[in-house]
Amino acid sequence: MSLNGQVVVATDVTRRYGVGDAAVNALAGISTAFERDRFTAIMGPSGSGKSTLMHILAGLDKPTSGTVELDGVEITALDDGELTKLRRDKLGFVFQFFNLLPVLTAEENLVLPLSIAGRKPDQAWVDQLVRTVNLEDRRTHRPSELSGGQQQRVAVARALVSKPAVVFADEPTGNLDSKSSAGVLDLLRQAVDEFGQTVIMVTHDPAAAAHADRLITLRDGELVHDASPGSADEVIELMKQID
Amino acid sequence: MTSLALKSLWARKVRAMTTAFAVVIGVAFIAGSYILSDTIFAAFDEIFSESLSGTSVVITAKNPVEQDNGEVPTISASLLQQVQKTPGVKLAAGAIFTPGGFFDSKGEKIGSKFAPKFISSTLPGKLEALKYIEGHRPRGPTEASIDKAAAEASHLELGEDIELIGQGSAKKFQLVGFTQLGSASFGGTSIAQVTLPVAQALTHKVGRFDQISVAAVDGVSPALLKRRIAAEMPSGVRVETGTESADRASEEIRDNLSFLQTFLLVFGFIAVFVGSFLIFNTFSITVAQRVTEFGMLRTLGASRRQILSTVLSEAVAIGLFGALVGIAGGFLIALLLNALLEAFGVDLPTTSLVMESRTIVVSLLVGVVVTFVSSLIPALRSTRVPPIAALNAFVPTPSRRRRLIYAGFSILLGVAGLAMAVAGLVGGGGAGTRAGLIGAGALVSVIAVSLFSPRLVPPLATVAGWPLERLRRLTGRLARENAQRNPSRTAVTAAALMIGLALVTFVTVFAAGLKSSVATVVDENFAGGLVIQNSDGFSPIPNGTATAARKVPGVESVATIRSAQAKVVGSGAGARVTAPTPNIGESLNIEWKQGGPEALRGLGDGQAILSDSFASSNGLEAGDSFRLLTQTSKRPSFEVTGVFDSKLNVLGSVLITQPVLARDFSQTQDTIDFVTTESGADAATVQAILTKGVEVAFPTAEVLNQEELKESREEQVNTLVNLFYALLALAIVISLFGIANTLALSIHERTRELGMLRAIGMSRRQVRTMIRYEAVITALIGAILGMILGVVFAALIAQPLKDEGFTLSYPIVSLVALLVLAGLAGVLAAILPARRASRLDVLESLQYE
Ligand SMILES: Nc1ncnc2c1ncn2[C@@H]1O[C@H](COP(=O)(O)OP(=O)(O)OP(=O)(O)O)[C@@H](O)[C@H]1O
Ligand SMILES: [Mg+2]
Repeated sequence: MSLNGQVVVATDVTRRYGVGDAAVNALAGISTAFERDRFTAIMGPSGSGKSTLMHILAGLDKPTSGTVELDGVEITALDDGELTKLRRDKLGFVFQFFNLLPVLTAEENLVLPLSIAGRKPDQAWVDQLVRTVNLEDRRTHRPSELSGGQQQRVAVARALVSKPAVVFADEPTGNLDSKSSAGVLDLLRQAVDEFGQTVIMVTHDPAAAAHADRLITLRDGELVHDASPGSADEVIELMKQID
Repeated sequence: MTSLALKSLWARKVRAMTTAFAVVIGVAFIAGSYILSDTIFAAFDEIFSESLSGTSVVITAKNPVEQDNGEVPTISASLLQQVQKTPGVKLAAGAIFTPGGFFDSKGEKIGSKFAPKFISSTLPGKLEALKYIEGHRPRGPTEASIDKAAAEASHLELGEDIELIGQGSAKKFQLVGFTQLGSASFGGTSIAQVTLPVAQALTHKVGRFDQISVAAVDGVSPALLKRRIAAEMPSGVRVETGTESADRASEEIRDNLSFLQTFLLVFGFIAVFVGSFLIFNTFSITVAQRVTEFGMLRTLGASRRQILSTVLSEAVAIGLFGALVGIAGGFLIALLLNALLEAFGVDLPTTSLVMESRTIVVSLLVGVVVTFVSSLIPALRSTRVPPIAALNAFVPTPSRRRRLIYAGFSILLGVAGLAMAVAGLVGGGGAGTRAGLIGAGALVSVIAVSLFSPRLVPPLATVAGWPLERLRRLTGRLARENAQRNPSRTAVTAAALMIGLALVTFVTVFAAGLKSSVATVVDENFAGGLVIQNSDGFSPIPNGTATAARKVPGVESVATIRSAQAKVVGSGAGARVTAPTPNIGESLNIEWKQGGPEALRGLGDGQAILSDSFASSNGLEAGDSFRLLTQTSKRPSFEVTGVFDSKLNVLGSVLITQPVLARDFSQTQDTIDFVTTESGADAATVQAILTKGVEVAFPTAEVLNQEELKESREEQVNTLVNLFYALLALAIVISLFGIANTLALSIHERTRELGMLRAIGMSRRQVRTMIRYEAVITALIGAILGMILGVVFAALIAQPLKDEGFTLSYPIVSLVALLVLAGLAGVLAAILPARRASRLDVLESLQYE
């Protein structure tokens, strides 16, 4: 375990796409750390490097330079097999689009990370998750029979099922109406407060950011603001300044 | 719009290539079959015209009934003087050209097992067609030459000894020359030359010729000379100009070998049929994946017809491209087929490959038409894409009503197919019509099952997936679910493999039945003892073999069988005439329908015993009379004195005495000898002595006991079955490409899903396993359906053969092995798609649109 309960530590991370004149510096050198049991939101204008940063923190992409330490492990040097194991054991993901398998039921999708790892799910924990995401009567439904909000709640529960060190969410409410969004955000908040999870979420939605404990703002690949988000209106104000 | 079609085709190069590949293989096989058979025919034309190039007129005996062993009747040597006296004759000579056997000094057979060998006599002057490229013509009674190709194949040197065997025992000769004829290769056929008197003695044709060759003096045309000579010749003798003779020989060969062309083409069309499933599937999937594009085109104002022509132009372009490549590939396939046939002992003459314009036309037509027709349904489906599809993912699925109509239609079609097959089996009509009906019935049934199979996919996938789910829980489960996700796609993919497996199963089951029937016949009808036959299994054995066998200590008696082909006078129906010695009943258990053993023992001149199938098909019974046309143009009459069960194939259809066979059919060689051993003698010892004695003097003969006889018969079946397997392998390879192609397209569709699975912790290995299992499940569905179809058809076709002693036996072990092999084939098909899927970049896949 890292110092001060820091579960993700990024040091001088840069990411450059392309070469020569056409090269784009998606991340211009970012150093930051994320503490355990905290809900962090990442915001910034389109193209500011939010997704790139999240992908690098999660080991889905490699930085051009700099290092990332995840739960005490330096991940930038890991190979595909090690990264797979890392994702399986320590990370949870929620994506913008409903990344459920259409051929499995809601509950099967929920326990998918455990099935992949060949582990037996702890039924009490699964039941609790199902209750938390409010899908007790939808367990055996296939994704096509669920609403967008319900599908996304399954995705959140799936990210929590293996009790990972960090849950990464990239615009988890990007495709939802405000009511469904609120449900998903409450769930993430609950995960932090009740289950002691660490959540890092990329979002465009000031209301979503307001659910977080901490708000990081990026512009042109640089970290320009790092503070508590305050209310949704305050976030809107902040974004206006940054743009 | 056509340019749009070509552009979008170019954008989908890889997919277009796999589709074209299905066309290429099928068309290449068809083109190859034509090229090879045309080449073989051309080689024969070349050989015949070359061998008669210096000959103006040819005199032979008429040959009203062709013999299985290719022997032709002879003419009297006394005709030669008459020919020589005819004005305009510059040179005339008698010649011998008779099948025989060749062995090297170590007793090893020269040339391939089944290819014919001819003993020929030297001809004077320009009548001689063989060119001596090394050494000289044989001059004395102990000199012989052989063709260069055989010499090279058997590593023979000039001065070495070889043995030639005609109708007596083997004789030793010194090799003094190597010959060649024109530029064509003889294939496995080989010619040994000796002087005329030697050839006559070797083939027991002293005082007779196979042919008289005549050269005309300058200024006398072959046609004129032919007319002059014909006027002098007795009836039963045929006089032709050299060209006429060569043309007739070519024509006869074409008739005899046209079955080979048909046989190969059938496999080509099977390959094309299987390929059409692949084409259909690829177009269906591509159209489904392009709904947004079509919707967009429709919003831009494209009409349905324009969309239809876009898709169909793509199909025609692919068909055309595939056909062109296929025609080029035909040359390669022709060579491969020739090598394959050669490996199975069918070693035919060849020359430089022949490409007839008919081959090009048929190949282009097949390629374009098949692609066009296979893509028609997907293309029509593309026209149902509404403009709104541009905005949201619209999947044109057939309505419930439509699906019910499909199911009803496929069931009707299946019934119709079976009815056609049954009609072909029990109905009247010629063999061709009936085979056509059965074939069409099988084809229709296959289409019916393919149409219905989307409904069978879910349950079959559950069955086939069960062991995999037990083995690997999640990946097995996902593989099964993925296979079931789009039942019609899986169904069409599996159906392609189903066709190949149905045929393989049919052949396997049928061959097992054939082998067990052969074994039963041998067990039930052979009273033990030993059998002497030609080592090729069908040619006659030299005279003197039986006499030699009778002298071996421990041998009690030897019964022999001789046979010849004849035609029934009036109907022209074929008859296999067999002449056994009267003691044949000691070696064979004959089941009598009319008459009994006394009929056989007392069989006299002018009497015959018939097999029951021959009797019934010719409307004959004991007491009736009939006439046969023999090879020597005689028409002896026979009175029926008995009828026996035709299960005993070795006895043919008409039994007469050996003296009559010699007199009227001029056939004096044994086809098979049966040896009974003395009761005290040890069978193995007798066989050992017989083998040593007989096989040394008559190297073409072999001595078998009952077990070995069974094995030798079974081996003949096996050889044929293996040839079928080899030719069917192609259809199976195409269907494996189909599985790989469908998988690749499905993986492409599921890129995001795969990215998600990888992101949440699925390893590359697990992805590979999942894809592999999906392929295995698809293959097993095809295998299960195919095996059911194959068994059903084997059972159907065996039904009417029951009377002839054919009993079906189900080779369970082979069938299970086939199922396992099909599963492994699925693994093979999945190698590339699985590798591609496992190597997808997680991030890119997640962001994939
Ligand atoms: N694969 C790539 N190749 C080249 N450039 C890329 C690639 N991916 C991202 N970029 C560039 O990197 C920069 C950061 O992209 P990123 O996707 O991280 O932005 P973002 O903040 O997530 O934007 P959005 O809010 O629109 O999702 C952008 O300028 C983008 O164009
Ligand atoms: Mg982004």
